[in-house]
Amino acid sequence: MTTELPRDIKLASSEKQIDQSSSNWLPPGLALQKVDEKIMTLNVGPQHPGSGHMRLIIQIDGDYIVACDPDPGYVHRGEEKMAEYRNYITNIPHLERPVIHDSCNILYPYVLGVEELLGIEVPERAKYLRVIGAEINRCIYIMYWLAIYGIFLGHSTMFMWPTGDRELLIDLMEKMTGARVTHSHFVPGGVRNDLPANFEDVCLRQVNYFEKRIKEYAAVFYDNPILISRTKDTGVLSRQDAIRLGTTGSVLRASGVDFDVRKKEPYDVYDEFDFESIVMKEGDSYARSKVPWLDMMESCRIIKQALEKIPKSGSVRVKLKPNPKGKGFDTVYKRVESGRGSLGCYIVSDAKPEPYRLKLSVPSFRNLIALPYLLKGEKLGNMPAVYWSLNYWPVEADR
Amino acid sequence: MGTATGIIRALNSGIKHLAIKRFTLRYPEEKLKFVGDGYQYDPSTGVGIAGLKGRHMLFHDKCTGCQLCAIACEGVAEAIAMVKVPEEHKHNKKAIMPQIDYGKCVFCGLCVDACPFYALYMTNDYELCSFSKEGLIYTPAQLQVKPYVAQDVDIIITDRGASHG
Repeated sequence: MTTELPRDIKLASSEKQIDQSSSNWLPPGLALQKVDEKIMTLNVGPQHPGSGHMRLIIQIDGDYIVACDPDPGYVHRGEEKMAEYRNYITNIPHLERPVIHDSCNILYPYVLGVEELLGIEVPERAKYLRVIGAEINRCIYIMYWLAIYGIFLGHSTMFMWPTGDRELLIDLMEKMTGARVTHSHFVPGGVRNDLPANFEDVCLRQVNYFEKRIKEYAAVFYDNPILISRTKDTGVLSRQDAIRLGTTGSVLRASGVDFDVRKKEPYDVYDEFDFESIVMKEGDSYARSKVPWLDMMESCRIIKQALEKIPKSGSVRVKLKPNPKGKGFDTVYKRVESGRGSLGCYIVSDAKPEPYRLKLSVPSFRNLIALPYLLKGEKLGNMPAVYWSLNYWPVEADR
Repeated sequence: MGTATGIIRALNSGIKHLAIKRFTLRYPEEKLKFVGDGYQYDPSTGVGIAGLKGRHMLFHDKCTGCQLCAIACEGVAEAIAMVKVPEEHKHNKKAIMPQIDYGKCVFCGLCVDACPFYALYMTNDYELCSFSKEGLIYTPAQLQVKPYVAQDVDIIITDRGASHG
């Protein structure tokens, strides 16, 4: 294994040392670069509806991309700094804001970490409820992502169907937690509330229907020759490059690396379920778009098993003191498998009600690093297909 | 599979849906059914009761003006302010009660979890829009009223698909 980066590209902004104090200074991308006259610099974003709230500085030679410089940071909210001024409970509503569609999964590592800091043992029923919440949320996120992927490729049916079917799961979460999007459901010590009456039957019925429904996407989307011709062999990320660039989640598994945190480091009760981590060998945009879809089917299996195995009664939340404090100087790192990949949370506590430092290690940012290497040599028209297949969520990457 | 068969299959699966009942909801006329009442919290066990996190409801005969809900909201949205109320209660010497600004509220329900006197609950009223910013601020007198929310539509899943009806 060589140590150099997979494709030797030089980004335009790093070629020249720019003196920001001079009056001629312009932001990177706008500044005139001393490059070949054939090369044109193109800004995709930050207002572009496709790029999300971020900018891609793309240099094109005709129709081919020579270099790409992702410029995230437009939706930086200072979540990590905000967490230092709020106590362990009031951190919950704002920490789920980076990915509101996956709000259970982004709270999951934080909650697991705080529980270890405070030394809380979670009731068994609460662990199952968390798994159900996290898996439904993963499906909600992937459906949203899939809808956008459809509209990126000009497939408007694929935008309508997942958006509509997602409602089924949002209704389930609404019954379970009381909120449609930002649930604030997980707390240190369990979950906020028990299941409502008759939830198991409703959940089983809707998940069964949902499972049947997502199988229909094969004919309209995944076996569609137009999609295959647009995504097959575009943006190929080899197995070694995927590991070396530090990608995670569906991007890593689409390149043939079997890494799923739920399997490798089971948290809560994930070791009790029978499911597979989806691995594909191709590493192209098609594989990266298919892995989350297959993941949803596994999620449905986990939800159904959890509904069977869940203890029928018992507490769901440990009663905490009003302002829980850490025991002393202590650090903890926990990670979970979110809809995008492994999501970690590092908490430093110093025996105060607020965390001393909180760091989120988010999968979106780790996957974005692969983008310049994937886009080099691609046609500009393939850019959306490659970019969104990385399972990138701009707000989460900026935090 | 050839290109032609693939495209025909894709078109076919879309055409099948022409005969299926509409899935979307005619919102102002039809409203989705929820389970039970709004989100509530039982301080004795420390566990909430599932329900929609909508507009709050304040029980004047139970509120002691302890400000715990306002303190809980401080780190979240700063939506709750304690205001003077004209009425006098034996348990509320200071005569202050929460006033909630729904322009700021994020409906997390942590204020409900903070109330130890069963005084603050959430209801299933989610239609809170207003033409002015002042209209979003609910005084204790407004919060006392239990809203009526029409809930008639349920999701029906049949062999031919899901629909609201």
